Amino acid sequence: MTERTYHKVGRRPWELRGTPDGAAERARARVPGARRHWLKWRDVHNPKTLRRERILADKKPLWWTIGLSALAVTTPFLPNSLISVVSIFCIYAAINVLWTLIVGTAGIFSLATLAVVGVSGYVAAAANVYLGVPWPFMLLIGPAVGFVFGAILAAPSTRLDGLYYALLTMGVAEICRVFVMQLKALTQTGGAITQVDSFIPEDWFLQRPGLLLGFAGAFALLLGALLVWRLVNSERLGLLLRVARTSREDEAFAEAVGIDFRRARLWVFVISSAALGVVGAFYAMYYRSISPQIFSLDQLLLLFAMMVIGGLGRAEGAVVGAAIVVLIDKGLPELGPIRIIIVAAIMIGVTIFAREGLTGARDQFRDFRKRKAGERRALRTEKGGEAMPEEATEVHDKQELYYRRFNKRLRDRLKGLITPELIEEHRRDPLGRHSDALGRVLNYFRRGEMADKYIIHRMEPAVEKFRIMAVSGVRGMPPRVVDDREYDDIREAYHAVFLLRVNDLLES
Amino acid sequence: MTDIRLFGYADPLSARAGQPIDFMVSAEGTKEVKAEIVRLVHGDFNPEGPGFIEETVATDLSPTLAVKRQYTQNGSFARVADPDGRLALDGPFTVHAFIWPSMPGGARQTILGRWSVKEGKGYALGINPEGKLEFWIGDGETVDQVTADAPLVPKVWVLASASFDPATGEARLRQIGVQNSWNSHIGPVTPFDHDAHVKEVLRVRPAHADIPFLIAGAHEENPERGRFVSTLYNGKIDRSGVVARALSADEMAAIADGSPPADPLTYWDTTEGFTDRGIGNVITDTGPHALHAEGVNRPIRAMSGWNWRGRDDSFRLNPSQYGAVAFHDDALTDCGWSPTVAWTPPTDLKSGVYALKVTAGDAVDRIPVIIRPDRARAKIAVQMSTFTYLAYANEHLSFDAQIAQAIVAHTPVISGDDLEYQKLQEFGLSTYDHHSDGAGVCYSTWKRPIINIRPGYRMAGMNFPWALPADLSLLWWLEHAGYDYDLITDHDLDREGLAALTPYKTVLNVTHPEYYSEGMLDATEQYLTGGGRVMYLGGNGYYWVTAACPDDPACIEVRKLDVGSRAWQAEPGEGYLASTGERSGLWRSRGRAPQKLVGLGFTAEGMDRAEPFERMPDSFHKRVAWIFDGIGEEELIGDFGLALGGAAGVELDRYDLALGTPPHTLLLASSIDHTDNYPLVSEEISYAFPGRGGTQDPQVRGDMIYFTTANHGAVFAAGSISWSQALPCKGGENNVGTVMRNLLDAFVKDGALPGSAYTGEEKHWR
Repeated sequence: MTERTYHKVGRRPWELRGTPDGAAERARARVPGARRHWLKWRDVHNPKTLRRERILADKKPLWWTIGLSALAVTTPFLPNSLISVVSIFCIYAAINVLWTLIVGTAGIFSLATLAVVGVSGYVAAAANVYLGVPWPFMLLIGPAVGFVFGAILAAPSTRLDGLYYALLTMGVAEICRVFVMQLKALTQTGGAITQVDSFIPEDWFLQRPGLLLGFAGAFALLLGALLVWRLVNSERLGLLLRVARTSREDEAFAEAVGIDFRRARLWVFVISSAALGVVGAFYAMYYRSISPQIFSLDQLLLLFAMMVIGGLGRAEGAVVGAAIVVLIDKGLPELGPIRIIIVAAIMIGVTIFAREGLTGARDQFRDFRKRKAGERRALRTEKGGEAMPEEATEVHDKQELYYRRFNKRLRDRLKGLITPELIEEHRRDPLGRHSDALGRVLNYFRRGEMADKYIIHRMEPAVEKFRIMAVSGVRGMPPRVVDDREYDDIREAYHAVFLLRVNDLLES
Repeated sequence: MTDIRLFGYADPLSARAGQPIDFMVSAEGTKEVKAEIVRLVHGDFNPEGPGFIEETVATDLSPTLAVKRQYTQNGSFARVADPDGRLALDGPFTVHAFIWPSMPGGARQTILGRWSVKEGKGYALGINPEGKLEFWIGDGETVDQVTADAPLVPKVWVLASASFDPATGEARLRQIGVQNSWNSHIGPVTPFDHDAHVKEVLRVRPAHADIPFLIAGAHEENPERGRFVSTLYNGKIDRSGVVARALSADEMAAIADGSPPADPLTYWDTTEGFTDRGIGNVITDTGPHALHAEGVNRPIRAMSGWNWRGRDDSFRLNPSQYGAVAFHDDALTDCGWSPTVAWTPPTDLKSGVYALKVTAGDAVDRIPVIIRPDRARAKIAVQMSTFTYLAYANEHLSFDAQIAQAIVAHTPVISGDDLEYQKLQEFGLSTYDHHSDGAGVCYSTWKRPIINIRPGYRMAGMNFPWALPADLSLLWWLEHAGYDYDLITDHDLDREGLAALTPYKTVLNVTHPEYYSEGMLDATEQYLTGGGRVMYLGGNGYYWVTAACPDDPACIEVRKLDVGSRAWQAEPGEGYLASTGERSGLWRSRGRAPQKLVGLGFTAEGMDRAEPFERMPDSFHKRVAWIFDGIGEEELIGDFGLALGGAAGVELDRYDLALGTPPHTLLLASSIDHTDNYPLVSEEISYAFPGRGGTQDPQVRGDMIYFTTANHGAVFAAGSISWSQALPCKGGENNVGTVMRNLLDAFVKDGALPGSAYTGEEKHWR
C-alpha cells in the first residue's frame, strides 16, 4: 500500500456574510410594480457552526451595478476618441443583448439582427429627412418598423429550422443592402441617408458636449436593452420558454403540457425586433446618417464575434463580448487590419478553450476544479476504501466514514477466506448448514447496502426460470437487469448471485 | 396492444355467507374483464405439495364486468368541509400552526390553507422547495408570497404563522422556535436560530375557489382523475387555527407560550377529544363554527406535541402534551374505489377462502375474500389471521430494508407482480415499512389491493408463501384428511369475543398469528378456561399489541417499540395506540406473554432452512402418548415441508416456565440442529454475548407442547411457522399429519380427553 499523505482541509470564508437576528422584524422591499425583491438575500445555516448567515444568493445584480456605474462614472473623463468608442460599445452591446434574446431565449437563429436595425434606421431617417418628422418621433417610428419587419421575419422561423433559417435571414440582410444601394434617390450618397436630425444639436456634433450627450444616449439605450432582456427573460414569456427549453426538440411535448411554445418564441422575436428598431433609430441619430454598411456581412460577423467571445445566451456575455471587440476594432485603429486578425484569434481561442464564451469561464473553471478533485481523489483513495480528509468534508453522516474504514478492512479479511473449496461449498447447498468461513462471507454480502443489491427475478409466475437483477435502493425506481443469463434452478440462481458478489468482493 | 393491468380488493375482507361483499377493480388497458368466483384450495406451486388448486364456483355473477381505471389518493391530510365558506377570507386574517416538518425542502408542501393548485386561487401556509416556510396567496392569475428567511430544520418544532391584511396588502410571516430538551429530534445545544419575522407588501388579494380547507395538503384537480389532494406535507402538526384579524407580535408570542388565541375563527385543538380509550379521526375545532377537520388516510394522532416534556409518556397521562398529528405523503388507509361488483355468497356455501378471479388478455388477478359460514356448521374452526395479513400487506422489505437479506439469509426472489407494485408505489405500505420521512408505518388496511394475500404469492424475501397463501396448506390438508372446518378471522374474534369460539370443539391457529388484540387474547383465554381446545400451529404468535380501529375495522394499528423483532421503533412517548389507548409493543411487556396462554412464545427466527422435531421424553407419558400413535419412538417428525424443507422453521416458539408456560405443560418434542441464521430474539437478550445462534444456544428451538385446562379443555402447540406447510407433503400422508389426525380426532369429541386419567403420582421402578 502506498504511503498516504494527509492534507489539512478547511477554508476561511472569503465572502462577507450577514448575521441576521431571527427575532427582529424584517421588512422586505420590492422593486416597484413588481413582485421581485431588489436583491436575492437568502439565509442559510452554516453547516460548520449551524449559525444562521445571510448571503446574497444571486450576485449578478451587484456585478452589473458595479460595472455599469464604473462605465457611467469614468467615461466623462476619457478623451474624445475613447468616448465615442464607449458609445459605440454601448450601441453594439444593446444590439447584442437583444440578439441574445432572439438566439438564446427564443431559440431562433436569426442573422437579420442588423437588417432589422438598418431597416428601422433607414425608415426613421427617411421620415425625418424627407417627411420632416421631428427627431423624437424617430424613436417611435423605429420600433414600429422593427415590430412589423420582425413579424414578417418571424413567420418563416417556425417553418424553417436552424441553418436554413440563418441563411434566409442573411439573404434578407443582403437584399436590404442591394435595395438601398440601388435606390436612385440615394445614389449620390452611396446609399446613405445623411443630414438626419438628432438629439445631439448640430453644432455639438463631434464636439465634446455632443460626444458626452451621445454617450449618455447610448448608455441609456444599453440600460433599456438590458431592461427588455430582463423583463422578457424573467416574466411569463421567458419562464415559459425556460420550461420548454429542455424539450426544444419536441414542441409537441411542450404543447401537450400546455405551453404554447411557438407563440412564446414568436413573441420574444417580435418584441426584440421592436427594441432593435429603437436601436436603429438611435443609430441614425447618433451618426446623423445611416449607410448601407449596416447591412454588410463584415458588420454582422463582427457582431457574431462579440457573441461568440462573450458567450451565447447571456446578457453579460453580450456586453463583455461587445466590449472586447469594440475596444480592439474601434479603440486601436492604429493597429490597422491586424485588429481583425486579433479579433479572429480571440474568437478562435475562446471557441477552443471556453465552452460558453468568457462569461461561462467561471462555471467551466468550477467544473474543471471538480473534475480535477475527482481525479486526485481517485488517485489518493481506493474505490470503497477510506475517505481522505477532503472527501470527508462532503460526507454528512460521519459514521459512514467509519463504516468505510471498517468494511474495507473486513473485506480484506474476507478476501482471504475465498477459496475454491468455499465456493464449492456454497454451490453444493446455497441454503445449507455452512462453515464458519462461508457464513461470515455470506453475512457480509447480505448486510450490504441497498443500492445495487442483487435480487433474483422469477420471470414467469410459478415457473422455475430466473434471472438476476439489482435493486435501485430508491423507492419506486425499478431494479435493473444485471445480465442476460437465465437459470432454471433456484439453487443455480442463488449460486450465480454468490459468484457475482464474490467477484465484487475480490475486485474491491 | 397496451399492457393490461388489473388490481382489486374486497370489502370486507371476510364476511359471513349471505352477506354482500363489494369487489373494487381498477383496470388499465381494458374496459371489460371476465369474472368468476373461485375457491382457493391450495396456493403454493411447490412440486412437493399438491400445487396451485382453485375451483370455479357457480354463481349468478355476470361473466363479464365493465371496469375502469380507479385512482388512489395517497397521503394523509385533514379536510375541513366548510360548506358556508367561512374560511374563504376576504378580510384580514392570521393562520397559525405548530409544526414539526420531517422533510422540508425538495417539493412544495402545504401545511394548511384553502388553496387550489390548479386554479392558483386562495391562500396557504406551507414549505417551499427551498425548505423555508412560505405563505402564498393567489387570485387565479398571479401568485404572490412571503418567505421566511430562516430555513426550517427537520424534526424541530416551530410555531408557524402568517397574517395578511387585504386593505394594505401587508403580509407578515412569523416562525418562532419552540424547541425544548424533549420535543425535537435534536436538542437546544445546536446553535440554530429558528426564528424569523418577515413583513412584505403583497400585490395580490386572494380569490376563492369552491374547495375545502385542508390541513397538510392542497386541492388539486385534473380532467382524468378529478379532484384530489397534492403538495402533501410530511411531519407533525400540532394545534392550529385561523383568526379573522392580523395578530400582533405579543399575541403570537402568547400562542407560542401555549395559550390559544382569544377570538379564533377556528381553532383545531388536537388535544380535544382524548379519552382513556384513545382518540378518533376527527380533529375538533373549538372555535365558534365547529369546523372540524376530518382525517383522510388516517393522520396519526396521539403523537408527542410541541410542548412535550418527556415526563408523561402517554397521552393518557397528559393529553395536553399530545396534540401532534403526524402526516405522511405515502399514507394509505382507504383506496376509496367505487365497487365494480357485489357478490352475496349463498348461505349454504362451504366456508373457505374464495376469490373474485378477473381476467383480461394475459392479465389475471384473484381478489381474495374469506367466507365464514352463516352459522357454525363444523366442529373445527380455523382462525384466519387477518390482523397478520394486514400487518404484512404489501411489505417492501426486499426493496427497502438493508438488513432484510441478512435476517432471512436469502437472496430475494421477486415476481413480476412485485416489480409492478414496487414501481407503482400506489397501494400503501405494511407495518414493516417506513414512510418516506423514515417514520414507521403503524396503520394497515384491507381497503386496497394487497399483493401478498394472492393465493400463489411467495414472499419475495424468502421465496416461500407467507401468511394467507401459506395458510391454504393447512386448509388443503384438513380437506384432504376429511375434516370439516369453518373459517373465522381475527377480526371476528376481536369483534365478537368468546361468542365467536364457543360453537367449536376446537380452534386452530394458522401459521403466523402474530398480531393480537386484547379482545382476542381474552376470548381465547375464556374459551380455554371454559373447556375449549386450541391447536396453536404457528410461530411468533400473540406477539404485538394490535387493535382494529373502532371507527374502521378494516384498519389495524400497531406501534412497535422497546423490544421484539421490530421493523421500526416508535418515537419516545408515541407507543400508545391512538385507536384504543393501550400501550402497544409486545404483549409480553404488558404481562401477557403468549406462554401464559398457549405455553409457547417467540424465541428465534431464521429462513435458511427448517429442521424436524424430535420427540422428547414427555411424549411417552400416557397423558399424551396417544398423540404419537403411529409414530416411531425416535422418528423425526417433519423432516420435510414446503417452507424450507422442515416442519420446524422460519419462526420458532419456546416453552419457558419463567415466562408463564403453565407448570403442568408436557414438552412433547423439540426441533434440533438449527443454524446460526436462527439467532435468539432480541427480547430474550439482556446482556449481549457471542454465541446466541442455533448452533450454540439451546434456547434456539421450536417446541411442541401440550397441557390441559379446566372442563376438558386443552392446548396443543407446535411453535413453528413451517408446521402447517409440512402437511401437504407426500400427498398429505406424513407424520406431521399423523400427529394432527390423532389430535383432531380427540379434540372434536366431547368429554374427557384421552390420557386424562393418568394423573397419579409417578412411582417408577425404572
